[in-house]
Amino acid sequence: MTADEIEEYLAPMRHEYADPRSLILPALRYAQGEAGWLPPASMSAVAEATGFTEAYVESVASFYDRCYLEPVGRRVLNVCVTLSCMLRGSDEIFDHIADYLGLDGEGTTGDGMFTLQRVQCIGACDRAPCLQVDSGEQVGPLEPADATCLIDDLRDLPAPERYER
Amino acid sequence: MADQPRTLMTLTINGQVVQAAKGTMLVDAAAAVGIEIPIFCYEPRLGAPIGACRMCLVEVEGMRGLQTACSTPVAPDMVVSTDSEVAAEAQDGVLELLLANHPLDCPVCDKGGECPLQDRTFRFGPGETRTLEPKMHFPKPLDLSPLVALDRERCIACFRCVRFSQDVAEDGHLTFQERGDHIEIATASGDPYEGRFTGNTIDLCPVGALTSNPYRFVSRPWEITNTPSVCAGCAMGCNIEITTRDNEVKRLTGRPEPNMAVEEGWICDRGRWGYPALRGDDRLPGAVLVDGVGRRSVPLERALGVAADMLIPHEARVGILLGEVVTVETGFLAMELGDRVGAAPAMVRRMGIPGDGLGLMRALPGAQMDDLDHADLVLVLGGDPCSQQPVAELRIRKARRRGVPVVVVGPRPTALDASCEVVRTAPGQMTDAVVAIREHLDGTRRAIVLWDEADLAAEPGAAEEIARAMAVTEGARAIEMCADVSGPGLRALGISADADLLEAIEAGGIDVLVTISADPTAGPAGDRWAAALDGVGTIIEMASYRSGLTDRAALVLPLLTPLEEEGVLVSMAGRAQRLRPGAREAAGAAAAWEVLIGITHRLGRPVPDRTPAQAFARLAARHAPFAGMDYGTLDREGAVIAAAVATPDPRRPEAGGEGLVIVPCTPVFGDATAHRSDALASVREPTHVGLAPVEAQRLGVRTDSRVRITTPHGEAVLPLRVDSRLHEGAAYLVMGDPAVRAMHLLPVDRGPVRANVTAVAREDVVT
Ligand code: SF4
Ligand code: SF4
Ligand code: FES
Repeated sequence: MTADEIEEYLAPMRHEYADPRSLILPALRYAQGEAGWLPPASMSAVAEATGFTEAYVESVASFYDRCYLEPVGRRVLNVCVTLSCMLRGSDEIFDHIADYLGLDGEGTTGDGMFTLQRVQCIGACDRAPCLQVDSGEQVGPLEPADATCLIDDLRDLPAPERYER
Repeated sequence: MADQPRTLMTLTINGQVVQAAKGTMLVDAAAAVGIEIPIFCYEPRLGAPIGACRMCLVEVEGMRGLQTACSTPVAPDMVVSTDSEVAAEAQDGVLELLLANHPLDCPVCDKGGECPLQDRTFRFGPGETRTLEPKMHFPKPLDLSPLVALDRERCIACFRCVRFSQDVAEDGHLTFQERGDHIEIATASGDPYEGRFTGNTIDLCPVGALTSNPYRFVSRPWEITNTPSVCAGCAMGCNIEITTRDNEVKRLTGRPEPNMAVEEGWICDRGRWGYPALRGDDRLPGAVLVDGVGRRSVPLERALGVAADMLIPHEARVGILLGEVVTVETGFLAMELGDRVGAAPAMVRRMGIPGDGLGLMRALPGAQMDDLDHADLVLVLGGDPCSQQPVAELRIRKARRRGVPVVVVGPRPTALDASCEVVRTAPGQMTDAVVAIREHLDGTRRAIVLWDEADLAAEPGAAEEIARAMAVTEGARAIEMCADVSGPGLRALGISADADLLEAIEAGGIDVLVTISADPTAGPAGDRWAAALDGVGTIIEMASYRSGLTDRAALVLPLLTPLEEEGVLVSMAGRAQRLRPGAREAAGAAAAWEVLIGITHRLGRPVPDRTPAQAFARLAARHAPFAGMDYGTLDREGAVIAAAVATPDPRRPEAGGEGLVIVPCTPVFGDATAHRSDALASVREPTHVGLAPVEAQRLGVRTDSRVRITTPHGEAVLPLRVDSRLHEGAAYLVMGDPAVRAMHLLPVDRGPVRANVTAVAREDVVT
């Protein structure tokens, strides 16, 4: 992803942000769409496109759990572990998925297909315990068996053209 | 940006009626009447408050919840309570949270005993911990750089260091990574946090998270004394504090009560970590006498008598040469000594730039560094404040952040280029920029021009034109970026530069030469000096460090350094400020003023002064620029000396001949102290030649090749750096390492000169 492409993407929204710092987040998200994470080159492109230093851009990126500074799987499984989900058994769901994927806690599967992580509240308390795939569908309330089916379905899908994370 | 009339507001804080100007934050309004509101992140020198730490919570009647006193401005009839039960409980709570992951390792923390976190916890904190959970642990300490150590466990995420890096030094290096209890200060690249000003983050850090590596575990606060003084690293004259333990200088810091008209509390890393030079191998420990018996050490007392004997013969013609860093008292007492010896009054001269053609510039109204904040144009004319008077860069950046247009004119790339307007001139061709300068000045009312002494002295024609343009610009003022620390003070005493002393020596007119912290053989036209000195019967060298003269001198008198002596230095903005001794590390050495007074006594013609304070009072009475000053009036912030009177100057010829124009560069990070101080090993700048890529190509050389550089005044073989920002047709001569001669390539008046630069074949490199 080049700085020019990012600038082009930002152009129509520039006027919406009084403080240019606010452009960094949409830029990061856009850049992340390409590879599903933010390699250093993308970070520099964001810095160039927004006019901030790489250091500053990285400090913003590192603040957000969903900006990935390391490569992640084709799909990211976000298991909510905040109060409602936790009370309704998110630990069990998490452990079940980890087992199924052969992971020891959070991490990425060897085939690069899935990354499993715990996240804080995703605003789906009414569907607790809930899991979100990338920044898309929220699935819940979940039983362990549902999670297994979901994963099998996802495995069969082709890689997305752009990652939405 | 004319200053607004101050509207006063009346409010009540803890039952006291308080008046404060509009815009004042509650924390300052309270402090003005002696009420302390605890703070961590609040630091007005870093910009607008950010309310990051929540330490300053207070109760304001009628406002929902508690307010952060650091970012709540006063309002009429506000009723504030800083110590009500609710406020106290909140402050308590914030401290408890700040300490939740804090390791409480005060006994092994360098900050312990001078730590705001410790002090505020004692005053405002809960007194005991309720935390049973395990704390976060991180590897520690991490080296943020060879100079700055980071202890992540102690950091309270107050943002001060990050704001300094981002918003004051504007180097963009330091950031926060991650968040919450994993938050970490780091550079994005993972590279060391190196720059010209990094040490200020240590002064700013309110806890022991950032500490000085060279000061690590060196002393505890109850074993030290702190002495306010002034840095003699460059003509900026930053106020500093010297930390002494066991008669050794252990640390230098910015002054906790800054001089807002000078450095605003910031100092550069060269100033901060130059002190290990005091203990360098080449420090002169005691007096040495060379006579018929041979070369031997003598007690200083005895040596003073010997010096007097050498100076006494009535027919002797005496010269006294003052170096680039001596106090005005030393200059004055040297003149007093000069009046008491030999056949006629001695020739007393200073090493430095004659200043022909600078009279008009110097006659312009002067300004102080804080005037930059209220200027409507800042023009940097030649030189490179970023490398030669580093803290000036911070003041210029601040003005720019406040909306003052900043224009940088000259042949050198500077660190300001990226954020300011640049008018690049060919070396020696500042005249080409005169039209642009006039246009910039046009219509301004509060323009301030920072002009470089060395560059404009080399172009007297341009200097006069610019001075004329400024003289007709309403409100335009000037600050001279002086090449030498002693320059402004010694000039105010009427001591002129050394060119005619060299001529007198060459003509056989000097029998005894006294040098005071001056080694002309290492300076401009060093070879000519060296040859001329063969004809001087007796050389008395007064110096702190070994020099090229030490082996020629008949008598060597060891001197204390500016960190060890009392006296006055005049900054580039004309501010006379007091040095106060932090220690006296060389036991056998004395301050120059002591030595000079001692010699006059042994001559039998004593000066009446016994202390530098008395000498200063006497010089102030005799020399108009210092009129009305004494050590009392200079006490804390110094005082500005009266401007020099314009004298018509003879012009000097421009650099003729063939070859590349020499652009002399004297970065403080490349000076003798930087090379003597082992602490600065990772950031010091080697003596070298810089060339533009085209010039390098022409010669077939690359970075790190060695080149021979020859001028009519001498020759040197130096390492090369190719830099695409440099101008073609020029050789940038970066100087300062006392072990590598380079300054001798310049003429004695440091005027313009061209050099022949050639590649050095590997086999002719003799080292
Ligand atoms: S290292 Fe010190 S100055 Fe920097 S954020 Fe932490 S506590 Fe504040
Ligand atoms: S800017 Fe100059 S005076 Fe100030 S600390 Fe640095 S070397 Fe010393
Ligand atoms: S001092 Fe007020 S929030 Fe930090």
